[in-house]
Amino acid sequence: MLETLRSLRPFLFFAVGYLALAMFVTNSYYQLIMTLVLVWATFGLSWNMLSGYTGLVSFGHASFFGLGAFATVLAQVHLGISPWIMLPVAAGIGALAGVLIGLPTFRLRGHYFALSMLAYPLTLLYIFQWLGYPEISVPRVEEGAAYYMQFSEGRVYTVLAMILLGIVVLVTRHVERTRFGMSLIAIKQNESAAEAAGINTLAWKLRSIAVSGAIAGAVGSFYAVLILVITPLSVFGMLVSAQALTVAMFGGVASVWGPIIGAAFLIPVAETLHAELGSFLPGIQGVVYGLAIIGLIILAPEGIYWKIRDHLQKRKGKDALPTAVQESAAAEPSAPVTPVERPARELSEEIVLKVQDISKSFGGLKAVQNVSFQVNKGMILGIIGPNGAGKTTLFNLLNGFQMPDGGHVLVNGEDLVRRKPYELCRAGVGRTFQIMRPFKRMSVHDNVKVGAYVHAASEDEAEQITREALELVNLQDISQHIAGSITTKDLRLMELARALAGQPEILLLDETLAGLGSEESQDVVNVIRKLAETGKTIIIIEHTMQAMVQLVDRFLVLDHGELIVEGPPQEVIHNEKVIEAYLGKKWSAHA
Amino acid sequence: MKSFKTLLVGGTALAVAAAAVPFAATAQDNGDPEPVQIGLIAPLSGNYARPGEVMLMGAEMGIEDVNAAGGISCLDGAPLELVEIDSGDTVEKATNAAKRMVADYPDLVGATGSYLSSFTLAVTEVTERANLPVLTLSYSDLITERGFDNVFQTAASAGAQAEIALPIIMDLAEDQTGERPETVAIITDDTAASISSVDRMKDGLLEDVGLELVSEEIFTPPLTDATSLVQRIRTSEPDLLFFLPTVISDANLILEKMQEFRVDVPTISFGIAIAEPEVLNTMEPELLEGVLSAVANWGVKGQEELIERLREEYGEPWMTQNAISTYGDMWLFKDALEDACARDREAVGEALRNLEGGPAEYYPGGTRSFDEQGRREGASLTIIQWQDGVPVTVFPEDLAISEAKWPTD
Repeated sequence: MLETLRSLRPFLFFAVGYLALAMFVTNSYYQLIMTLVLVWATFGLSWNMLSGYTGLVSFGHASFFGLGAFATVLAQVHLGISPWIMLPVAAGIGALAGVLIGLPTFRLRGHYFALSMLAYPLTLLYIFQWLGYPEISVPRVEEGAAYYMQFSEGRVYTVLAMILLGIVVLVTRHVERTRFGMSLIAIKQNESAAEAAGINTLAWKLRSIAVSGAIAGAVGSFYAVLILVITPLSVFGMLVSAQALTVAMFGGVASVWGPIIGAAFLIPVAETLHAELGSFLPGIQGVVYGLAIIGLIILAPEGIYWKIRDHLQKRKGKDALPTAVQESAAAEPSAPVTPVERPARELSEEIVLKVQDISKSFGGLKAVQNVSFQVNKGMILGIIGPNGAGKTTLFNLLNGFQMPDGGHVLVNGEDLVRRKPYELCRAGVGRTFQIMRPFKRMSVHDNVKVGAYVHAASEDEAEQITREALELVNLQDISQHIAGSITTKDLRLMELARALAGQPEILLLDETLAGLGSEESQDVVNVIRKLAETGKTIIIIEHTMQAMVQLVDRFLVLDHGELIVEGPPQEVIHNEKVIEAYLGKKWSAHA
Repeated sequence: MKSFKTLLVGGTALAVAAAAVPFAATAQDNGDPEPVQIGLIAPLSGNYARPGEVMLMGAEMGIEDVNAAGGISCLDGAPLELVEIDSGDTVEKATNAAKRMVADYPDLVGATGSYLSSFTLAVTEVTERANLPVLTLSYSDLITERGFDNVFQTAASAGAQAEIALPIIMDLAEDQTGERPETVAIITDDTAASISSVDRMKDGLLEDVGLELVSEEIFTPPLTDATSLVQRIRTSEPDLLFFLPTVISDANLILEKMQEFRVDVPTISFGIAIAEPEVLNTMEPELLEGVLSAVANWGVKGQEELIERLREEYGEPWMTQNAISTYGDMWLFKDALEDACARDREAVGEALRNLEGGPAEYYPGGTRSFDEQGRREGASLTIIQWQDGVPVTVFPEDLAISEAKWPTD
């Protein structure tokens, strides 16, 4: 929390400067524009809360905005309730609408989500027209106007809008720095990986749309008071949703500053153009607006904020580069190059995973047929087989990404078949992916921390778990690097650390050695071995046998979805069936 | 080097400008009195730009005539000066425009506007808070039901218009066809004025004149397809059709569809959308022949000279409410300024509230004074009819240019 407050210092400077400037503005129309900048910035932050962080683009934020606006005006007209009371109520309405809209709509992804969000404000627009509200105005109050949030001095509204923006910035900042924001960003970058890391993605998305809806509802409520007259079109219209999207995209998605920068630039430009040129060039502001956005999408597709930040970081990066090179040069000699001999190990008698008769078919293709096996605690089990043998399918059945047609998966005696990936993750089954799924814009540290939230009760504990996981895989030195910039080996290790941060009992590794050179793969093998020694049970799929022979305690060989052989490495590699499966009948005769 | 030059030029220009300001001020002190600013806040762009332009013509003619008659004599013959503000074509643009008008023109003493009742409602929410008196030709009842002090409605309110018009229409039908119509269908858009009229009709007025409502169709302008609307009217087989469009293109679309589907119901319109000259761009005059419309104001007997000037100066074939009412507003402002004898919006507002009676010259019926609500006292309406390709005034009789005929084949 303290850190959140500290990070707000630039905002406080901005707020003080902006309000100081506002105090010099006497023209009531410019006062209105100064207030509108803050209103749309806040609305942009509302959009950001959902779409910026989760990546689920909403074209329908006008729903929450409009409900807040209409609720506030209708409550004053019919019930005489003050907007001071209705502002938080409107936030509640926005949150509720968010959950109601989110529940059905989160079943969709990508463009389908964006388009279906478009439907809600359009529906509401017609409902309010049909209810007989072609327009409705805030009743003028002469006695005790302040109680109804009515002020003849326009600058009061600017101050109020700044307070509202400040609260929303605070909320956003807090969300960004806790597991809430981390989970959302993880969802945005890779929803499957997020599930595998133990994140209940639907629950977090619903929380996000509720907070986003609440902010939009409150902004809509304030907007109605400010603008006096609202129509269904002016609060539920396409342009309102677009406004949120435009200011956020222009300024920078998924940052507190983006919508503020966007609104501060676009709103005055549009208003001035309309005021100065609108009477003889009607619609000119739309043209200029459009051109600005086209130019921006070409030059800075993620928004001004990120463009500037990336630019600054690149300059900083250039200065920092030499030391990084030195470090890696210094580290090289100590890296082990020769393969370490596999020491014989005593295995525990305890069975942690028991798979019984598990099967999965895709139409006529039997990908996995009646496979049964069991795994002792602390064992490294290798699942091998030629391409198409059913290895990955078996894996996905074990960790919940696919549902088996029949059979059981018992973890410590509990049947976990048909559970969601994040539930399995919580039950102690972690995994990595064959095709790596890093959260590219996040640092290595944050990538791992996302996994740590599964069992961590507090931020401090998550931090502690993250550090330990990074140390286990030897990534502590590059923990602050952005995941998009590190080597394949480090990415593999990072994924391993993320899975470890979930503190699994059983770790499923999907072709963790794929694409690595022999030295690199030896590093990874060493890490895996170290993990097994600490008592973790590891199941690893691999396509090639070489590195595996030195690593695993037992092999499980699949071919055409069937378990053909199971046993210790030396036994398995000389087995005829295995040689036949890999090399064909001709070779098995020579074996 | 270049920037230094720019600075130098800029600096010189500033200095010259600064020096010139006192001169300009003294020049006015010695010569003609400074003009008094009146605002016209009306749609000059978008869907409703056309009626807004006609209002501008009326305002310009009014200002020309007031100034030619010596300006405001109480203020040393100060002339009126028109300030145009585009209210755009949506309620939110109108609100914004009003805020801009109030902020940018602190010297305005009054304004007139804003065609559509919905815009006027929005604009006056802003002007009332700035104490700026506004005359309006919009006639939704809501405009003068909010307890505002500075809004003055020169037209009879929509409810009042319906009350006046319906009995006249029924009598006309009986007089010319021998029987009174018994059923009516209504097609209306959902703008404030239309809704006010329809509400009043359904609130007892139809019953009073013995009409049964058999179908009611409400749409939001602009309409894209009128087929289903017209189909439903056709199946309800009414004796009469009341038609309340606000946008010209909506009026055209519906009338064309009626012709296409051969719906021959005598049509009575409310409002001027079906009597704008543009209607003839897309419709044959025969199609319109006989269509009646109840309008708040129209060029009438005795204004032939004005109508002729409008035709010559602006090419307008006839004088609609937008031109004549806005023209009259300039004279009302002159009267108020003479009474107030001050360039002060609050004094002008006070003067408008207390204007001496006397028959209204540029509005049908009643006087030039306003009641406590801000409605013109005794305001009546005009009924117009398309006859030989021109909408002419047929009621009230003393102002009528031609005689009404019942619209039958």
